[in-house]
Amino acid sequence: MTTRTLAPGAGPALGRRPVPWPRLAWVTLRQRRGALIGVSIFLGLFAVYLVIMAVIQNNAYAAVAACHPASALKCQQLNNAFYRNYWGGSGSVIQSGGAQTTSSLMYAVPVLLGAFLGAPALARELETGTFRFAWTQGAGRTRWALSTLVLPAVLLVAATGAFTAIFWWYFKPFIADGQVSVMLPLGFALLGVAFAAWTLFAYSLAAFLGTLLRRTVPAIVAALVVYIALAMETATAIRPHYAPPVTVQGWNNAGGAGWVISSWVKAPNGQVLNQQAISTLSQHLPASVQNSPSPDAFTNWLTQHGYTLWQSVQPDSRFWQFQLTEGGWLLVVSAALIAGTVWLVRRRGA
Amino acid sequence: MNVIETRALAKRYRRTWALRDCTLAIPGGHIVALVGPNGAGKTTLLTMAVGLTRPTAGTLTVLGSEPPGSPAALDHIGFVAQDAPLYRSLRVADMLHLARNLNRRWDQRRAEDRLERLEIPLRQKTGDLSGGQKAQLALTIALARRPALLVLDEPLAALDPVAREDFLASVVAAATGDGISVVLSSHVLAELERVATYLIVLTRGQVRVCGPVRELIATHGAGLEEIALRHLRAQVPSSRTEAGR
Repeated sequence: MTTRTLAPGAGPALGRRPVPWPRLAWVTLRQRRGALIGVSIFLGLFAVYLVIMAVIQNNAYAAVAACHPASALKCQQLNNAFYRNYWGGSGSVIQSGGAQTTSSLMYAVPVLLGAFLGAPALARELETGTFRFAWTQGAGRTRWALSTLVLPAVLLVAATGAFTAIFWWYFKPFIADGQVSVMLPLGFALLGVAFAAWTLFAYSLAAFLGTLLRRTVPAIVAALVVYIALAMETATAIRPHYAPPVTVQGWNNAGGAGWVISSWVKAPNGQVLNQQAISTLSQHLPASVQNSPSPDAFTNWLTQHGYTLWQSVQPDSRFWQFQLTEGGWLLVVSAALIAGTVWLVRRRGA
Repeated sequence: MNVIETRALAKRYRRTWALRDCTLAIPGGHIVALVGPNGAGKTTLLTMAVGLTRPTAGTLTVLGSEPPGSPAALDHIGFVAQDAPLYRSLRVADMLHLARNLNRRWDQRRAEDRLERLEIPLRQKTGDLSGGQKAQLALTIALARRPALLVLDEPLAALDPVAREDFLASVVAAATGDGISVVLSSHVLAELERVATYLIVLTRGQVRVCGPVRELIATHGAGLEEIALRHLRAQVPSSRTEAGR
């Protein structure tokens, strides 16, 4: 057979323009359709529950808020009943669990959604061998990987952002009442931009680990471990340092004013008492104070005897500052993880 | 123009060399049979040619002087990997649409006509296709991209004899009809004997034979299979030292 002429341009000449992004977006949506529908159904059902409960709770709380004077026994009972029913959740079946349980469950949502959507993004291609198809098409693997990683991330942030708005409405009575500070770890990560930012982080982390480990299930497990470790470290050790805490005199036990980082007692001579000194002191109080049913008896006795009470607090007014700080660094870390994933894709061999 | 050209190409996976000191030039316009036993380095060579793997040492260019994996190289090389990986959950029509959106050049008519001739329904799920149909679908997608070079890695391994015949006939038709250069690997030479115009024998990561079939037959005075076998056998005694770390 004689050598045939080679015709690389066997069709119309190709311009320099690469495969346009909308076409790659179609590919990503088609490939991830099942996972995206799964996430939508999960968030949708959860949102419907939150909306129903939000209407019920906000109506119930309106009655509590309208009750005057707030210190009246009738109003106190109404308030207690509200918390019993909707916070602790001992009411009807639909409320079972209550806001306390619901918000605890909410903590798992970012990492579950992120790992579910992120881990298989590239790991499945590597597991099934389809990357050898995807990465040898005209679009090239870099553009394909960017589309595969970024588009679901954007959709996920939009969906969880909208979800936060619904949760906020649901959670509003407890914040308005001043019982729960929005700065507390309990609420902070579920409000503002933090919820969407943590979801984005979980997604990027799982996608990165999936590409690194080339397996979906180990990637999900590894992402869970890293996520939980970082989330706990953030709530206890990192978040309190976004801004120097404010030192205030007096112990505000009612909460609502902010997140109390630490509290201490100063003796009349200006010396700070350690834990042991305080417990020794409390054991040598007069019987009238020791046996008093009031929880404030000890602190009242301390102030009467020249001791001063101090607290280090992150006030509620810093909510958005802290939200943007946390959202900001999570966004930077997520972007770095996605860039790292693309880098792994680019250097990965068959 | 050489469709694949390598110089002192080598690839090491951890501590084993999959390919060593491989220098060859495959001219365009051929149906090239890349033959060798399992583990000879055929897949390694082909995946490097399509840009999926990077060489450990040496150089490799495709379609003249393009680096593998570059936009120009990707545009003009149709690749079907071993076992023809496709998205199992997608319907055939979606698989075509997907490939169309991943490429700058796409001939939808040609793809649909081809599948109709092969009686592969567009509504069928890719995962439910038979091995032969799956290979044909992968080939259809590769051809609809109107490539200059078609690279097929062990395309016949999973097929029954009838499907092998049909598949090879499709490849020959594409090569002669559209002037596409074809490189296909196999560990069995028998099927390729009638279609190959260029032979490369690879064992233990090194090239043993490389040349147009006509010349090889003229110089060796033997059939293609015999030439290949002779070279495969000749290398066995020395192979032990070669494989040493």
